Amino acid sequence: MNQNNEYAVETFSLSKVFADLWGRNRVYAVNELNLRVRYNEVFGLLGPNGSGKTTTIKVLLGLLHPTKGRALVLGGDATDPKISARIGFLPEESYLYRYLTARETLDFYGRLFSLPNQVRKARIEALLDMVGLKAVANRQVGTFSKGMARRIGLAQALINDPDLLILDEPTTGLDPIGTRQIKDLILELVKRGKTVLLCSHLLADVEDICDRISILYGGNIQAEGQVKQLLQQSNRTQITSGALSDRTIENIRKLIEAEHADFEVTSPMEKLETFFIRTVTEAQASAVPTSGAVSTTMIGDFLAAEAAQKSILDKLVTAEVSDKPKAAIETQKPAETKTPAVEPDKELLSKLTSAAEPSEPVKTSEPAETKTPDTQKVRDEVLEQLKGSEDKAEEQDRANTDEGEKPDA
Amino acid sequence: MKIAAAFILLLIILIPVMGLGVTGDGTIKGKLQSFVTYSLALLSLLLSLLTVIAAAYSLADDIKQRRIYMVLTKPIRRSELLAGKLLGVILLDLLLLVPLSAIIYGVINYIPTHNDATAQQMQALENEFFTARANIKPPEPDVKAEVLRLYERLKQERQLPEGSKYREIIKYLTQLVKYQKRAVGAGSEMRWQFDNIRITDPNQSLFIRYKYDVSVNPPDLNINGGWMVGDLRQLPAIPQGRGSIYIFERKDMIRTFHELEVPANAVASDGHLEVAFLNLPMNNTVVIFPPDEGLELLYKAESYTLNFIKAVIMLFLRLVFLACIGIFAASFLSFPVALLLCLAVLSVATVGGFILESFDYLSSEVGTIYTFTVGVVIQMIPRFDRYNPSVYLVPARLISWSMLAKLVAMFVCLQSFVIFLFSFLIFKFKEIARITI
Repeated sequence: MNQNNEYAVETFSLSKVFADLWGRNRVYAVNELNLRVRYNEVFGLLGPNGSGKTTTIKVLLGLLHPTKGRALVLGGDATDPKISARIGFLPEESYLYRYLTARETLDFYGRLFSLPNQVRKARIEALLDMVGLKAVANRQVGTFSKGMARRIGLAQALINDPDLLILDEPTTGLDPIGTRQIKDLILELVKRGKTVLLCSHLLADVEDICDRISILYGGNIQAEGQVKQLLQQSNRTQITSGALSDRTIENIRKLIEAEHADFEVTSPMEKLETFFIRTVTEAQASAVPTSGAVSTTMIGDFLAAEAAQKSILDKLVTAEVSDKPKAAIETQKPAETKTPAVEPDKELLSKLTSAAEPSEPVKTSEPAETKTPDTQKVRDEVLEQLKGSEDKAEEQDRANTDEGEKPDA
Repeated sequence: MKIAAAFILLLIILIPVMGLGVTGDGTIKGKLQSFVTYSLALLSLLLSLLTVIAAAYSLADDIKQRRIYMVLTKPIRRSELLAGKLLGVILLDLLLLVPLSAIIYGVINYIPTHNDATAQQMQALENEFFTARANIKPPEPDVKAEVLRLYERLKQERQLPEGSKYREIIKYLTQLVKYQKRAVGAGSEMRWQFDNIRITDPNQSLFIRYKYDVSVNPPDLNINGGWMVGDLRQLPAIPQGRGSIYIFERKDMIRTFHELEVPANAVASDGHLEVAFLNLPMNNTVVIFPPDEGLELLYKAESYTLNFIKAVIMLFLRLVFLACIGIFAASFLSFPVALLLCLAVLSVATVGGFILESFDYLSSEVGTIYTFTVGVVIQMIPRFDRYNPSVYLVPARLISWSMLAKLVAMFVCLQSFVIFLFSFLIFKFKEIARITI
């Protein structure tokens, strides 16, 4: 890796001004931006719509010319084939050739990197597995839902095993499980020494994975630093433990009151994301015997494939990662095999019932336990539940119909 | 994709149907000639349209749909992308042109086998259609001095038209003198001399292709002509072994082409041949052989098949140029506008002469500015009308290798290359991403 330069991405008072033909209506999309992304970190570029995130990325990649200033990517110009061979890029939407199938699409992008035949073929299969599109690999991408197109987009960004991954809102259009997978993937890639520049306005995602962030507004950096430092409340302390008896809590209260600090006892809330993934996985697990096929692009499919993908990419790319696949699986495990503590679950259910329509969460847990043969119903209900909490309902709806087709195909 | 399929289907259906449908002037030769003309015109038109559409669309739509973001950020240069688009279209053209022209060739060969033409007609077909004939035109007489003399005389006599420019007058006078040189009064004779005719097969025929123009239309629109072909140097005595002299008397329609078949032994051993035309007094009008096309000598030089292949290559060169234009237009225009530009170029190049000449006429007014602006642009537009394959195939005229080489140099090496260079320069500095804020 090219470490002679300290930063993977560096800009020097980069400005991009848009103006009309006569030079009026000048808009500073990027204004004197000095961005520095270190090697081997996940860097998040945040900001509201129109704050210059995408423009910055386009200038970095040479799709737009800077009005002023300079941008260095991996120590050079991103339009130089030597540099761009080491960059993976996922634009804000996946712009694909509609008449190519998923496999042909990846093959096309693989060829642009002049990858040797065998390497290319192996990587395509691994990536299709990884993004969960193996079952639809021979379908034209024009028929894909937004989320599926997004997955193909991500796969093509990874086909050259890039040193620097530039992702423009990678999680838009993806279901929560896809989002989780991308986040895990990013963390895993960084473990392997890659650099990720991520641009998003979904703060939860950024908070989960980014080492450092910049918040852009008006084309300029408003805040920059390590996520932990930026978010830490130094005047508060949080203690997490297993379930405690009332007596112990009383004792603790006394101790803390002695310090004259305020005190609050709650059962910790599970993240909705974790809960959702667990619910769907359980529903899937119970549905498999009845439908008799691996029927979705959801997590089970992906997990089975991930190990394979890792090992192939390992062989191809980085030799020194022998123990990492295990680590990867371990990081996954807490997410779904968490001991189903009954109390938090109930807590969450009641929370959900108070927040949204009361009956739905109860329904979703039912099929999982009683193994109702109607898998479609389960999915529908999962989706219904999602609609209450997520605003991406449309995409999931489409993704769902896609999944419904797969056993036939 | 659907457009392409529709075009190809149309061609595959239309060509054989046309083969059955055309009649021409009723003879088998006429039938074949009109089939060649129409089928090549159709093939050329549809493939030209397909080429500009495919070339412009493949680039313009990639930019519009932003697919190009994901391609240009890969380790390829922009020039490579353009070259790839161009090669793709050219390959498509090749894939379509070869089988479709093979179908045309097949139909051409099929028509005579299923026809009740007489043996004589079939013979004429062999000699005048299924062959490739080299042509020799008599040299244009140098009339410059004569024109200047005429100009001076008119000037002294103050008969020059008022308000006309020197250039225009000279142009007009040149035309006039040239016509005078080609005019044969009633009862008088005109001779043409040809040298260096190389006859490969002593049994073959020579053809004299001519067209009459007249000063006054004869009542039946026909001209009676006396023709004498051979080594006329020997006249009036006829020594032995110096070639035969053939004499014809014919009655031909004015303003259409006719051919006179002469056995090859009319040519003297040193390659000399003379043709004499006598305007018979009964015509009572002046006969004019129009400059450039009035009279030429044709003789078999190559096989028909090879000539047909060359004609297809000619068509292919045209498509290469159009592919370049398509890419060029799309490198800075959106698809509909790019297509409009391509179609404009295509129609100017096809209709050619008239439009370009009218520009040329204007040029005398604006001079230098014109030469370096519009003039350059016009230089970049090829003359499809002049290099039209049917112009060669219909009269079975030889497409020489030297002319084909000239076409390659002009269409591909010069015009297409320069245009491609321009599109590359534009594309290289283009901001690919659309401005969004």
